[in-house]
Amino acid sequence: MSPPGSTLVVVGVALLLLLAWVAFTLTRLRRLDGRVTRAWDVLDGALVRRADLAAAAVRERPADLGPAGAALAAAVEQTRRPPGGDREGAENALGRALRDVPVADPDLEDAGWRVGLARRFYNDAVRDTRALRRRPAVRVLRLHGRRPVPRFFDIDDGLDAVVGAGPTTAG
Amino acid sequence: MRIGLVCPYQWDVPGGVQYHVRDLAETLRGLGHEVEVLTPAEHEDNLPAEHVTWAGRANPVPYNGSMASWQFGPVSANRVRRWLREGRFDVVHVHEPAPPSVSLLVCMLADGPIVATYHAAAVRSLFLSAWGPVVRPWLEKISGRIAVSDFARRLQVEHLGGDAVVIPNGVHVGAFAEGPELAGYRRGSATPTVGFLGRYDEPRKGLPVLLEAMRTVVREVPGARLLVAGRGDPDELHALLGPDLEPSVTLLGELTEADKAAFLRAVDVYCAPNLMGESFGIVLVEAMAAGAPVVAADLDAFARVLEDGAAGVLVRRGDASALARVLVDLLGSADRRAELAAAGSRRAADYDWATVAQQILAVYETVAPAGAGQVTAGEDDPDDDPAGPARGESFLPRWLRRGPAG
Repeated sequence: MSPPGSTLVVVGVALLLLLAWVAFTLTRLRRLDGRVTRAWDVLDGALVRRADLAAAAVRERPADLGPAGAALAAAVEQTRRPPGGDREGAENALGRALRDVPVADPDLEDAGWRVGLARRFYNDAVRDTRALRRRPAVRVLRLHGRRPVPRFFDIDDGLDAVVGAGPTTAG
Repeated sequence: MRIGLVCPYQWDVPGGVQYHVRDLAETLRGLGHEVEVLTPAEHEDNLPAEHVTWAGRANPVPYNGSMASWQFGPVSANRVRRWLREGRFDVVHVHEPAPPSVSLLVCMLADGPIVATYHAAAVRSLFLSAWGPVVRPWLEKISGRIAVSDFARRLQVEHLGGDAVVIPNGVHVGAFAEGPELAGYRRGSATPTVGFLGRYDEPRKGLPVLLEAMRTVVREVPGARLLVAGRGDPDELHALLGPDLEPSVTLLGELTEADKAAFLRAVDVYCAPNLMGESFGIVLVEAMAAGAPVVAADLDAFARVLEDGAAGVLVRRGDASALARVLVDLLGSADRRAELAAAGSRRAADYDWATVAQQILAVYETVAPAGAGQVTAGEDDPDDDPAGPARGESFLPRWLRRGPAG
């Protein structure tokens, strides 16, 4: 049996460590939440810009687009009001329609590449957040408060390299 | 944009990451951006007078066959804080942030858009799998991750649990494409040359395979010569040659950057017989930029740079007789060489800094859209006495942060 004094010290130190850890984890969660929000704003902006540029191409150069123009116009319309709220599906359809466009448009290509960047950075932020929120101590103490678990945004932007996509994303 | 670049390795020691940071800074400045660099160096005097800030000295640590550096502590942290505060950057771009270096310090202290580039590549790394979770809380602050190759990306994905966009290393294509040839050598002369560049006493660079192949080449192509450039022990090389190769091999020793370009412009064929361990193969891009037809071992990284053989010839690694056949064919056909050189030049353009820097800028704009705040040095209290030591967001207790050593 250790004397009660030293037991108190041990408990006190453990409590202090726990508090420090909680404070640090709360900071991390707040930071990650900010990162996800900012990354989503950028991704949203990139998707809207791509749709706007596609709409402009449909309006201004119908002759160049030929039959692909009608499909493109429909795809743009879908991204504005995704059926069933399925924005991923709508953006995917637009991406496919853009790949079928016969003429090269540097602005549209740039917009597509930026959608790819923004999507990757957004999903990266989501992955980091989910990894931390999966930790048992974080779940038990509900350190994330009322914040919902962020969702991945999965579209095929043609940017995926040969290497498989990251560690398991379930959870 | 105001951009802060952070190089974790000593500026006055030659190395790929250092050159990358230097060239990226120059290219971005050429595009009208304001760029500041923070880097350790052996001596502060070795740094350029402007736009480069000394972060102290880093301690070299041998790691994975090359040198990593270790730099941590309160003095370094204060230098980082001061640099961040004075820089008022829109985005900070750190390189190789996982090891305990000035890059990691920046990740710990900076608040705002951070971009990181991962250069190292390996299939697995014991150090990173143990260390990754420790530094995870700070690497989480990085909003945009770049890997210079698929291998660097894989290392990042497997050990640090994140994803990265692949943007390759840049090359100043113009600096290799145009200029004089190495004195005494001329492409297309009657005595055709094969070039090798690299540490020739490292077995994984594969020089013994090339020497073996050259024994056949000198028999079948009279006058053919091998030029070896790079560091190593000359006596060891001469012992490898033997009397039949001795007259056909010239050892050039270590070349300056300018001489390296002149060397690549002079050779008739550039050969990279590496057996393993190349993460990127930037020298292949440099050779292609210099107009040299490239013959390389079929490492994944090389196959990628050479577009699976469209921009150069791939040979099974370690296969000296196949290599000999390819070299004999190439040295015997000027048309085939010209064809390969043209394909190589087209491929090299993809790696030109002008192209690569635009891609990196797109990353900056993605993580730091116009109107987003600047990078700050942690949670500085504006009411703080400006002359006093700054309160950074740090896990170190105050007494530790004020210690004597950097």
